Amino acid sequence: MVADSQAIQTRQLSKVYPGFFKSQQVPALTELNLRVDQGQIFGLLGPNGSGKTTTIKLLLGLINPTSGDALVMGQPAGDQETRRRIGYLPEESYLYRFLNARQTLDFYARLFNMNRAQRRRAVDYYLDFVGLDPSVRGRRIGTYSKGQTRRVALAQALLNNPDLIIMDEPTSGLDPVGMLEIKNMIMRLKEAGKTVLLSSHQLADVEDVCDRLVILYRGRIELEGALRDLLEKKDVFQLSARNVSEALQAKLTQIAEQEGAVEILTGRARVRLEDLFKELVARKRSGEPR
Amino acid sequence: MFGLLQQLGPKLAGAGIALGTVYHPPSQHHYVSLFTDVVMVLLILAFVLTAFRDIARLGSGLSRAWAIGRVTIAEAWNARMWAVPLVWFAVCVLLGVLIVRGYEPSGVVRVYMTIFLRAQALILLVYLGILACVTLPRERERHTLVTTGSKPISRLELLLGKVIGLSAAGAIMLLIMMILTWGYMNVLDLKIRHDAQVLYAMQKNSYDKVQRRMPPDTGVKYLSRHGMLQAQNFVSGNLSIAGYVNYLTNPPSRLLKGGSSEILYFEFPSLPATEYYRPMFNFEFGVVHALPSTKPVTIDVTLVQRSNPMNTQEATLTLNAQGQVFWMPKNPTAFFSYGNPQTGQIYNPGPVVVKVTCPNFGVYLDIGNGLRPPNETSCMAVSLDTNRTPHHSGMVAPRANPVITGFKNNGKQEIVGPSIRHPQIKPEVASWDFPKVDQQQIPIGPHGNFTVHMVISVDKQSNEARAPVAQIVAYNTSTPRDRTVQSVYVNEKRITTIKLPSTLLEAGDLIINLRSEVPGHWFKVKDNSMIIMQPPSSFVWNLFKSEAIILCEIVLIISIGVTASTALGWPVAMLTAMVAYILGNLFHFVQSLFQSGGLELFDYVQDNRMKHVWYYQIGSFLTNVMVHILWVTVHLMPDFTRYDPLYFIVRSKDMPFEIVFLDIIWTLVCILPTLAIGYLLLRKQELA
Ligand SMILES: Nc1ncnc2c1ncn2[C@@H]1O[C@H](COP(=O)(O)OP(=O)(O)OP(=O)(O)O)[C@@H](O)[C@H]1O
Ligand SMILES: [Mg+2]
Repeated sequence: MVADSQAIQTRQLSKVYPGFFKSQQVPALTELNLRVDQGQIFGLLGPNGSGKTTTIKLLLGLINPTSGDALVMGQPAGDQETRRRIGYLPEESYLYRFLNARQTLDFYARLFNMNRAQRRRAVDYYLDFVGLDPSVRGRRIGTYSKGQTRRVALAQALLNNPDLIIMDEPTSGLDPVGMLEIKNMIMRLKEAGKTVLLSSHQLADVEDVCDRLVILYRGRIELEGALRDLLEKKDVFQLSARNVSEALQAKLTQIAEQEGAVEILTGRARVRLEDLFKELVARKRSGEPR
Repeated sequence: MFGLLQQLGPKLAGAGIALGTVYHPPSQHHYVSLFTDVVMVLLILAFVLTAFRDIARLGSGLSRAWAIGRVTIAEAWNARMWAVPLVWFAVCVLLGVLIVRGYEPSGVVRVYMTIFLRAQALILLVYLGILACVTLPRERERHTLVTTGSKPISRLELLLGKVIGLSAAGAIMLLIMMILTWGYMNVLDLKIRHDAQVLYAMQKNSYDKVQRRMPPDTGVKYLSRHGMLQAQNFVSGNLSIAGYVNYLTNPPSRLLKGGSSEILYFEFPSLPATEYYRPMFNFEFGVVHALPSTKPVTIDVTLVQRSNPMNTQEATLTLNAQGQVFWMPKNPTAFFSYGNPQTGQIYNPGPVVVKVTCPNFGVYLDIGNGLRPPNETSCMAVSLDTNRTPHHSGMVAPRANPVITGFKNNGKQEIVGPSIRHPQIKPEVASWDFPKVDQQQIPIGPHGNFTVHMVISVDKQSNEARAPVAQIVAYNTSTPRDRTVQSVYVNEKRITTIKLPSTLLEAGDLIINLRSEVPGHWFKVKDNSMIIMQPPSSFVWNLFKSEAIILCEIVLIISIGVTASTALGWPVAMLTAMVAYILGNLFHFVQSLFQSGGLELFDYVQDNRMKHVWYYQIGSFLTNVMVHILWVTVHLMPDFTRYDPLYFIVRSKDMPFEIVFLDIIWTLVCILPTLAIGYLLLRKQELA
């Protein structure tokens, strides 16, 4: 309970996937030190195979660390009681194909020991919340489209009104509207004071919602910090304004400060997250023999 | 744990008796070793220590386990589980119709019951065994455990959920099958009753009009009223026969089967005290070897004092080549009367009983015709076969009438009526002992009588002309002098009813003796030739209890399958479950293998010249090791032979609730260590 202000804390967390021969072993995660404060939207970025999913599975206790440890909500990872307060959206929607959406959510609600009335309320509420077409709700999930399945998986992650939501590529398979909805939803979760750990390849979205982020490369943290700091160009000053006449535009570069333009925005220039990410990965790739 | 249960069994049975039901011992006796107990306790201990927290959470955890169980059922249902009972029904009816052609009604019901229940057990064992082995691996393959595992459930709940779910699926299917069985049997029964009605009307008609001597069959009447399905509960006595039985020899003789539960009894009255009295027994048997054997034939002898059954003396005696052995009991004054020449005081402890059993498997002891030369009372001895063995003058006891008991399941035995040619040979007597505990619930008629049903077949030999008449002598062991004697006409191969006063059912065992009154008539009798009917009980309830036994068996195989699949892929898990089932069924075989000398049984040649060659010794050693490995493996497997859903219902007998109860407990006792293994394997496993 001491570390309750930190939703997630890992110390030297490492994972080597076992193999019979040494050459078959995969060091998927190496000495990860991660801190996620409560109420934060935290981005977990990295190219394919960099260890994002591995990190998340370790945090949930689905796999056992090779060394190091992780605390989630102040408890060791995988603690049964702590999982009551966690929602998890897996990378792919691993759901029972022979159940329909309602049965699926009802099953997961039972795992949270909800009673019948609670279950019914939660199931209907969250199916509406994720915008699953009511006409498909009675059909087996095996017949759903990818996006429909994804929405059920999302509803499943929110079902227990968790304090910590871990989402592994939430937008994969969703249509643009769906992506926007997810983004809005995350913002709402933030307003409600929830913590969100988000792994995504949709950098534009991450840029919009995240407070802090980490970029993993080959199981190590390459970049970490608050989004604002990371994207700032320290040596570039930038000005933008509205209601600027053509003459003013011409003069502006010289005498910007002595003229009466309104809503003048000044500040450091920013890169886009996408550029940052691409540059970092390109640098790492070129630096390492291939 | 098994051992404990074994001790507990009779006590629980006793409790059952107190509740007013009648206990019948389980059809198979069950041997258990300390080894199994220790392994089980260790496993459960390890489980409790490691699963401590998970167990503590089981309060709310059971509903989570049930949620997982529901999904497992849904999966099975989705994979067309409902078709299994339908296929089963179709196959059974088809098989039944093919088999029962030309059977009599009781046979039809038996065959159908057997097919229906056997097939149920078989199909569900295979089907749910397979499901149990694949359910966890399949979830792992489909990664559904990733999502489920992120929810607040423990591995124990996961494991239990699978077992509970599949067991519930089994229960659902058993219920469907039970309803189908019930419906079909009732249709069958309607037809049987109708046929019986027609038959009885015909018999009665011909009896009324034609005045034949044969009265209408009361059995048919009963059948037409009640049908075949109700459990016809009855108590049967333990049969013992005084006299000889094997007629192939001349004169006929009886055989005591070695390595069986047969016991040969002699009862000696108290003898007049003589000063120089030396009690000595001379046993003499004709030894018949059914198997080649080099072991010397031994007999186990127990001397028991009638008035004080705790006063016993035991001995193991080795017969010589002529089948003879002499035995002088030690401390004879504790058993036999003697007079003190100084004081003139006479000590008389009363009659003694000598019990003889033969432990040698494959050996039969011919006790001859059991007759003794008369008027030889000078000393105490047993000389059994006056025709085959030299006459031991002065060595024969008076009235040491040999009786063999314990041949229960060895089929019918014959008793001989008065001899036509040798009137001095007394007829043989069959004696049924109805234990006191079985005498409850016997319905008493309005005139203070109870009814005994007798079914015996008669071999009329040369005396074809006379109707068979039996003499019945009944008494209670608490009042042996108070005897009821009746002569009754025997309905051959049909039920003969005898009415006896209820005063016979008092403090002790009820003894009913039977012999033929007609010279030359032989009666064929067996244990339940003489039965006392109890009120019938409902078919549904009896069927339900049989299904419960099947369910126990299924739940056990499910937990074995699920446990095996926690660490193994499904094909290997299936193999493991199958091996467990087969070894579990070999339990008694391996047991008996050890009791009869292990694999040495196959090596009976005495002068084996190979015996000292080194490779022979190595081979022999390895065989020995193998046998012991087999022993250990079998003792780690649950005994599947215990589950017998058929024994009672097929015989139209009510299954005692104690059996269901004990089987349920026993199943739990087996499941616990099994799940402990599963939990220990699953505990640290990665779900993703
Ligand atoms: N079960 C496994 N056995 C062996 N190696 C594995 C296993 N799971 C993952 N890996 C390896 O571990 C590394 C990290 O995998 P991880 O799934 O964490 O990547 P990721 O960052 O989630 O990638 P993506 O963006 O493609 O989802 C990869 O090299 C992968 O091949
Ligand atoms: Mg991933």
